Amino acid sequence: MTATKKAHPYGGKMTFWERTYLPEVFRGMGITIKHVIHNLLHTSEMPTVQYPEEHRSYSPRFRGRHRLMQRDDGSPRCVACMMCSTACPADCIHIVAGEHPDPAIEKFPETFDIDLLRCVYCGLCEEACPCDAIRMDTGIYEIAGTTREEFFVSKEFLLNNKSDGTEV
Amino acid sequence: MELVVSSLLKIAFLLTVILGLVPVLIWAERKGSAFIQDRTGPNRASVLGIRLGGLVHPIADVMKLLFKEDFRPENAHRFLYALAPFLVFFIALLTYAVIPFGDFIRIGGVEYQLVVADLNVGILYVLAIASLGTYGVVMGGWASNNKYAFLGAVRSTSQMISYEISMGLSIIGLMLIFSSLRLTDIVAGQGGAIWNWGFAMQPLGAILFIVAVFAETNRNPFDLPEGESELVSGYHLEYSSMKFALFFMAEYTNMVIGAALITTLFFGGWNIPWLTRSVIEGHAGTILPVHLVIQAVVMGLISLLFFRRAARERDKFGDARDREPGFMGVVTALMALGAAGSFALKPWAIGVDAASIYATLLQVGAFVGKVVFFCWVFIWVRWTLPRFRYDQLMGLGWKVMLPLALANVVLTAIWLAIV
Amino acid sequence: MVKVTIDGRELEFPEGTSLFDACREARGEALPHFCYHPDLSVAGVCRLCQVEVEGMPKLTIACNTGVREGMVVHTRNERVKTAARQILEMHLINHPVDCPICDQAGECGLQDQYMNHGLYESEVDKDDKVHKAKAEVIGPHVILDKERCVLCSRCVRFCDEVTGTGEMGIFNRGDRAEIGIAPGKELANNYSLNTVDICPVGALTSRDFRFKKRVWLLKSTASICPGCATGCNVRVDHEAGRIFRLKPRYNKEVNGRWMCDIGRMTYRGVHSEKRLDGPMLRGDGDLAPVSWSDLHTFLAERQVGLWISSPAQTLEEQALLAALGEQARTSGGVSTAGRGDGDDLLLHGDRTPNRTGLEWTDLQQHDPASLVALVRETSGAVVVHGGDPAETAPGFLAAVGGRALIFLGTHANATSKAATVVVPMSVWAEKDGLFVNKDGRVQAVRRAVARPEQAVEDWRFLVDLWSAAGCADAPAGLPALRRWLAERVPALNDLDLNALPAGGLAPATAPAGAGGDE
Repeated sequence: MTATKKAHPYGGKMTFWERTYLPEVFRGMGITIKHVIHNLLHTSEMPTVQYPEEHRSYSPRFRGRHRLMQRDDGSPRCVACMMCSTACPADCIHIVAGEHPDPAIEKFPETFDIDLLRCVYCGLCEEACPCDAIRMDTGIYEIAGTTREEFFVSKEFLLNNKSDGTEV
Repeated sequence: MELVVSSLLKIAFLLTVILGLVPVLIWAERKGSAFIQDRTGPNRASVLGIRLGGLVHPIADVMKLLFKEDFRPENAHRFLYALAPFLVFFIALLTYAVIPFGDFIRIGGVEYQLVVADLNVGILYVLAIASLGTYGVVMGGWASNNKYAFLGAVRSTSQMISYEISMGLSIIGLMLIFSSLRLTDIVAGQGGAIWNWGFAMQPLGAILFIVAVFAETNRNPFDLPEGESELVSGYHLEYSSMKFALFFMAEYTNMVIGAALITTLFFGGWNIPWLTRSVIEGHAGTILPVHLVIQAVVMGLISLLFFRRAARERDKFGDARDREPGFMGVVTALMALGAAGSFALKPWAIGVDAASIYATLLQVGAFVGKVVFFCWVFIWVRWTLPRFRYDQLMGLGWKVMLPLALANVVLTAIWLAIV
Repeated sequence: MVKVTIDGRELEFPEGTSLFDACREARGEALPHFCYHPDLSVAGVCRLCQVEVEGMPKLTIACNTGVREGMVVHTRNERVKTAARQILEMHLINHPVDCPICDQAGECGLQDQYMNHGLYESEVDKDDKVHKAKAEVIGPHVILDKERCVLCSRCVRFCDEVTGTGEMGIFNRGDRAEIGIAPGKELANNYSLNTVDICPVGALTSRDFRFKKRVWLLKSTASICPGCATGCNVRVDHEAGRIFRLKPRYNKEVNGRWMCDIGRMTYRGVHSEKRLDGPMLRGDGDLAPVSWSDLHTFLAERQVGLWISSPAQTLEEQALLAALGEQARTSGGVSTAGRGDGDDLLLHGDRTPNRTGLEWTDLQQHDPASLVALVRETSGAVVVHGGDPAETAPGFLAAVGGRALIFLGTHANATSKAATVVVPMSVWAEKDGLFVNKDGRVQAVRRAVARPEQAVEDWRFLVDLWSAAGCADAPAGLPALRRWLAERVPALNDLDLNALPAGGLAPATAPAGAGGDE
């Protein structure tokens, strides 16, 4: 039986100096210290975003917290057709429809609640809406709270959830 | 009585330096790793807006660790579980007793040696105590009654045994050259030119010793007893609160010891190359003013940088943090002014006693500076190299380092016999 | 028989078959249509079912054409398809396309036809459409949207031909033509919601169901209406444990395609506020909640002297109660209870679903006086399963006196208020069971929604009581219970009750017309 030549697992044989490790170790240390010195001298060029003070800018297509569009008189544009809650894969939109006094409008949402904790921000509700009543263009992604109830947002909240991020 | 007082003062000095270095090292570890990885690192915790580049974070850490629940696993061994962290930390501090951090200080005509215990078997003491440290690790790992902690302890033991041998052998060459086990003798023998330092006479021994010290201190690339990715966090997995903090501090204390040993044995200890005590004492009237001028200029430049930043970033954050550059500028300016103002004391006409103390201070400063540098090397290496695989660790210890250390001993002996 | 060639297939049909039905059989699916309805006369107004018959110069509507020998018909060629698309476009000219707010969306003929046969781009601007009245209430149950109407006249024909009340009609002409109610009338007959069912678009919608739920979210369970002895076949539409509406389910033998408004509203009782929602025991004068184990302990200590069932219970429950009462006395409840006015269409004067079942299980019904007398004759506790004898049989409570009155029921009533023990039970939509209608047809109700948390399934509770009373071979599980039932009731001896067809079964040996008193 002839001995088969075993290939090095990482391709090729290591040279003597590579096998002593030390030159490579020093080379590595040289690379890291180069980073340290560069970063010490150019602290302002660091890619880190200082989050609470700085914000990463997102594309206008970014899907943030939802808002409900208003008619000219301030009432919701939504007609409670439930397309969004039907399309919602997370089942987080809860609408109760009601009879509107104006027969031209006929149907309107008595309640329109979104459970932001369940929402997966997929945007299917936006796409399903036949009236352009729900949008996710507020750009708000800092959604934090101390109780679960805070994430269960109502129609009134969503109507005043402006696209420039302000909440009234 | 005088011996007791002077020893207590020396111990107090050492404890202050070492324990003071621990938070600084933790900060250096975090900030250094951040800069190596192109991150900003800690910069949030502040006292009245003063952040010191993240140096306030260790204070927040201490507060957190103090108030955390002191948890003990249900089936842990009560006594050993509590004892282990104390043992580790205690043994880590013991080693300093024999390390000289200066040659002597002359006060009132009496010379006090700047070492707590000048043992004639100093090196043996260091090796003996350092290897005791593993008992704490083994105890902690075993008493936790956790398989990961136990595996960490087992690894620690075998690693200690493997590298203790090459560590001991790597210094034998040095002992042969200096013909002494006393650390003060070894340091004194490295005075004068830089080629008198141990690493110049024992390059192989120095490399072997440094590698072995890395292994002994369980630092990367030899941190297998902790091995986060495979052992969660190894022997101190079950520890929390101040018990964990003791393990953590012991790690950095061991690092300082390692650095101090490397410095003492191979990098001249407290010696400053060419500037021996007689040189400093003889030219104190020149060296001190130059020293003060350099300090005043450097601090002044730094304070100018701070002031410029204060003017540029007046409203960067809109809170107390905006005051920081101004505050730092004032502090550094005061330091520059202090250095400049001390010319009023006529440093060019320094007295003989004062010159002696100045020489001692420079030597201690040189020692501390070297120690800090080697601590940084520990950190530097950790964030550069990946961890060894266990079989690689054993292979390196037994099949590479041990033969090399033996060869080093033989070659040194032959060379000494010929010369 | 006549031979007809439809889309190249030669088929034979009996003489007099309409071409519409012939095409449905040949194609496997119906031709597009709005106005054609199998139970109503042919109107031929929607013009959607046009087909090409060779030899005829124009397309002809299939619904109003009979099959003839040698006819060659094309239903899928380009000419027919174009005609359907253009007719559909005409129907939609003035349609408001307000599907988002329309309750019909999801089960709408216009939506279906458009997706199957239309798919054109509309050429009518939204603002050019003729607008008509929206959301006009035309009766207690029905609301009309004139804009959405396609004038198929199904509702008009229904009111003329089925109920004979004739409230509806088509008024005006051209694009102002609209469906409406005859002046001074309202759509108030007891079958008005059938017009909602047959309306192919969203013109007529139910006021009760209005805006409650989108139809595509509903799940359906086939069941039986518990409203009267007719036993109309229904579809229970429910979602998330709540019933939203009942719709008739086609059964040629019982109700055809219709059902009455009273029956449709029976679902409301399921979610009534008066539902009993926990076991209760009379402690110091008042009924107080009690644990199930304490309740069973109490029941085990009582010797029952009289078991009273009711015609609202399923056949299984009646049979179990009869078996439990074999050592004591039994009654089928008050014979005068649950009576009302019937009509000659579907609604029966007996407003209980299962009076026939009482006879089949040998539970004698009593008039109020004789029930009170029966109570006086017996000693020991009295068990009332369903019904309200305290209300319908005056003197019942006095006759019970200080004895334990055990009420197994679903809703709070006079009997439950006076009872010593109250056990919450399930209503028809929350359990499986069999009802026997006035003609002796055995039909199954199925569980559609979940019971209230604390309620029990009646037959399981009775089986447990029976086991506790010492019966070693009480049937466990519904299939076993039904086998036991088939053995016990002579009329059912030959039947496999576990494999009942969708339309129910009428046993040949059934004693007919047992429940009726007309």
